[in-house]
Amino acid sequence: MATQSEKLTTEKTENVFGATLSRRQFIKTGGVLVVGFSFIGSGLLKADTTKPAVLKNSLDPSLPGSWIEIHPDNTVLIRTGKSDFGQGTTFTAYRQIVADELSVPFEAITTVIAGDTDRTPDGSGAFDFLGHGTPNIRKAAAYTYQALLDLASEKLGVPKDKLSVKDGIVSGGGKNISYGDLVKGQQLKLTIPVKGDLTSLFGLTIEGNPPMKPVGEYTVIGKSFKNSIISSKVAAKETWATDVRLPGMLHARVVHPKTLGSTLVAAGPLDKSKFPNSQVVVKGNLVGVVAPTEWEAIQAADQVASGTKWTAWKGLPGNAKLYQHLREEADWTTAPVSKGEADKGDPKPALASTHKKLSATYQLSYMKHAPIGPTMAVADVKADGTVHIYTHNQNPQALRGEIAMMLRTTPHHVIVHSYPGPGHYGRSNGGNAGAEDEAVILSQAVGKPVRVQWMRADDMQWSTQASAAFSDVQVALDEKGKLAAYQIDHYMPAMQDDRPIGAVIAGLPTMPAPQVKSDSVTSTVNGVEDNWVYASVPNVAERGHGTFQVGQKASPLAVGLRDHSMRTPGQFQQNYPRELAISESAALAGADAIQFRIDHATEERAIGVLKAVREASGWDTRPSPRTEATSTGSTPVRGRGVSLMLRSGTYWACVCQIAVTPSTGVIVVEKYTIAVDPGIVVNPSQLKRNVEGGAVMGIGHALFEEVMFDESGITTEDWLSYPIPTMSDIPEIKVVLIHNPKVGSYGGGSEAANALAAPAIAAGLHDATGKIMRRLPMKPAYVQAVLKA
Amino acid sequence: MITLNVNGIRREVDVPADTPLLYVLRNDLHLIGPQFGCGLAQCGACSVLIDGKEVRSCITALSSVGPNQEITTLEGLPARWAKQKGLSAEEAKDTLHPVQQAWIEEQTPQCGFCQNGMMIKATELLESNPHPTLPQIKEAFTTSGVSPNLCRCGTYVAIMEAVQHAATIMAKGGK
Repeated sequence: MATQSEKLTTEKTENVFGATLSRRQFIKTGGVLVVGFSFIGSGLLKADTTKPAVLKNSLDPSLPGSWIEIHPDNTVLIRTGKSDFGQGTTFTAYRQIVADELSVPFEAITTVIAGDTDRTPDGSGAFDFLGHGTPNIRKAAAYTYQALLDLASEKLGVPKDKLSVKDGIVSGGGKNISYGDLVKGQQLKLTIPVKGDLTSLFGLTIEGNPPMKPVGEYTVIGKSFKNSIISSKVAAKETWATDVRLPGMLHARVVHPKTLGSTLVAAGPLDKSKFPNSQVVVKGNLVGVVAPTEWEAIQAADQVASGTKWTAWKGLPGNAKLYQHLREEADWTTAPVSKGEADKGDPKPALASTHKKLSATYQLSYMKHAPIGPTMAVADVKADGTVHIYTHNQNPQALRGEIAMMLRTTPHHVIVHSYPGPGHYGRSNGGNAGAEDEAVILSQAVGKPVRVQWMRADDMQWSTQASAAFSDVQVALDEKGKLAAYQIDHYMPAMQDDRPIGAVIAGLPTMPAPQVKSDSVTSTVNGVEDNWVYASVPNVAERGHGTFQVGQKASPLAVGLRDHSMRTPGQFQQNYPRELAISESAALAGADAIQFRIDHATEERAIGVLKAVREASGWDTRPSPRTEATSTGSTPVRGRGVSLMLRSGTYWACVCQIAVTPSTGVIVVEKYTIAVDPGIVVNPSQLKRNVEGGAVMGIGHALFEEVMFDESGITTEDWLSYPIPTMSDIPEIKVVLIHNPKVGSYGGGSEAANALAAPAIAAGLHDATGKIMRRLPMKPAYVQAVLKA
Repeated sequence: MITLNVNGIRREVDVPADTPLLYVLRNDLHLIGPQFGCGLAQCGACSVLIDGKEVRSCITALSSVGPNQEITTLEGLPARWAKQKGLSAEEAKDTLHPVQQAWIEEQTPQCGFCQNGMMIKATELLESNPHPTLPQIKEAFTTSGVSPNLCRCGTYVAIMEAVQHAATIMAKGGK
């Protein structure tokens, strides 16, 4: 970058498809093209005129930060507010997308900066990375490309439409120049239009419509480039959030309340003879123990916890009565009923007909995100009120807003430094991962940097979980065995509580608990999330019913069973009942479950994934259950089922071939086949790995995962009480990627895969045994009960 | 002072003898390969090799580790391989353990938090069984240790492929 002492020789600006390119030429060499932004919306930070205390560059509209930098040595740097959670998209697909828009090699993009709130421009969460084909980074690159062409046109004296670019070299009229040479000796600043609120869930969005590279000209997208961060992680050279150690930092453990509604009576006394260097911090109902070493903090916290007194509380239904509570006691009347976008006709006449009908209820338990490492964070609250947080969360900018709210300050005083950590599958997409607020509270109290590490039980019992849900389905066939009417009512408590739990326990300001009126996903309204794919059904009614979180109103802490979106949020809870009901309907019609779906779908891509999965799985076309089906005996019986989903522009179909032993109720998935049509496949090998991972997680959701709770709190506490798949549970997994460039766009790839197993396995159980199980998870004891009924 | 032999180097630490090895490795010796996953020996994120056997450092008290027992962390895998193959210091400098090479070539990790333990377990397996079958790999990662090695991202397929790939690299002498 040029410095202020250097002499300006020229300065001018020009319009680039609605963006503004300003140019200052300097005498010295060096130079850069910095792509920044200007606000056109009412950004939170625009309205705030407080002088930034810790802001370095990127968040002040008057000092635009950069999305993309082109350097004189032809290297490129990109920045995104989305932190990587293992999908690898920021390190692979994002570079591929930028490389193609700029017409540079993949390798030219040498630096990717992600997540840090003082070094990235756009915020939002680690979800929907591919942005339905137009993520921010693609538009930023498209604007940049046009600006580079303008520069080259002037430099070479060749009209813009006579220029072409290959590998970062612009050619035309027999002349050529590299991007590096175009920016050399100049400070170029491209200002592009942006709207949104930086610290909101969805962050900023780039506006305007710069020309994009035609799909047919992609040369980098579609290839299996490796994820660069894997090498440093594997070699133990990456700094994880767990590795951050600040000078003078203290270790802390938090003593969480005894129940989800307990208030503090008295913190236990600290045995100073055993723990001379420890200190107890109490803020509201939050009890923290800090010590110079981690082992002392752990032991001292255990000792303090054993003597801490809490009020008793019972305000939850407990596992056994969960669905009874949701059906009979929960108030579904305050949130408006959502309607499906595909609703048409009127199901009532068909449902009143004398043809074959299905009327059933489907239930899904609470599930934990269950990151393999419990949440942790380091906070450093400085004497001047500035706050540095070192963490691993999916939405650093939103966290910044939450911490500022808690401290009654502005986001300008808070910097979130983003590091790799254990994936947690949506749990922190609205900001906090769990421990950041507690680290801030304790750091502020002791005046030193503090590292809060949750133990395994803290993470199981004090984090959020994916909502439990149930759905009532009614289906009627016509005289030909086709679907004449489909009606579904989905019931699910509020699915996203983004309040930082430490702030809630400490009694500090947070956003409100989920309520009806909310400007984000924290509302109690239950939207219809599962995209309808059976377009030929004449009468369709889908409704979503929402309510408050279980225990939220009864808890003196306003806590209860806090929910949070988890991989394929909402749609998982709605697709499972739909797809199992469709398989049951096929059985009712005496039709093959895949052919039945094909016969009711009209979208070519939906039919395409069904045909692909049929062929790849070796599916034998016939109705279910199979003729040999039996629900008794100690010999495994086999069956297969299918499921279908449209999510984020991607079509998915899955076949699970299972074996179940009726006497034990144990289900084993023997072969799992999945077909994926995302339109353009950006990176085949990365997509395949993401899909395989989602597939395995989905087997866990289907067979094992259930949050256990009593009337006071969550009793699930570790990996024994919350089992997830092990390597021995892994079937043969076959992934069929359908590269479909005529779609002209790329859809999402790391969600959905986890949702497809459950309805396919349940249909497989029916195929094998003739018995239908309409409840998740399909634990052996629950399966046994169904088979004996 | 307690003496430890970590990655071929003698280290002295001044900590209580009941401190779990994990905290000593991470906080006192700044070896960041092993991760805190559960503190209960239920997941394997904290695994290290002690005399070639995979152990869970989160429940291994420092006092239970002898001064001459060889502790190998993820950081020590390249040197362990170099020593086994008799590589020169120059050759060893840029060499990763075949298990690490395979993990990169197969693009095994997603978030990667558990993969320290997965690579430690793979190393233990391949040192005793250079050509494991798929059932043997599954057995190693599921029942051979005090608990299964758990991966929440579901990378088991990639791990199985990487173990087989590592076996091939090792059979060729490391390349």
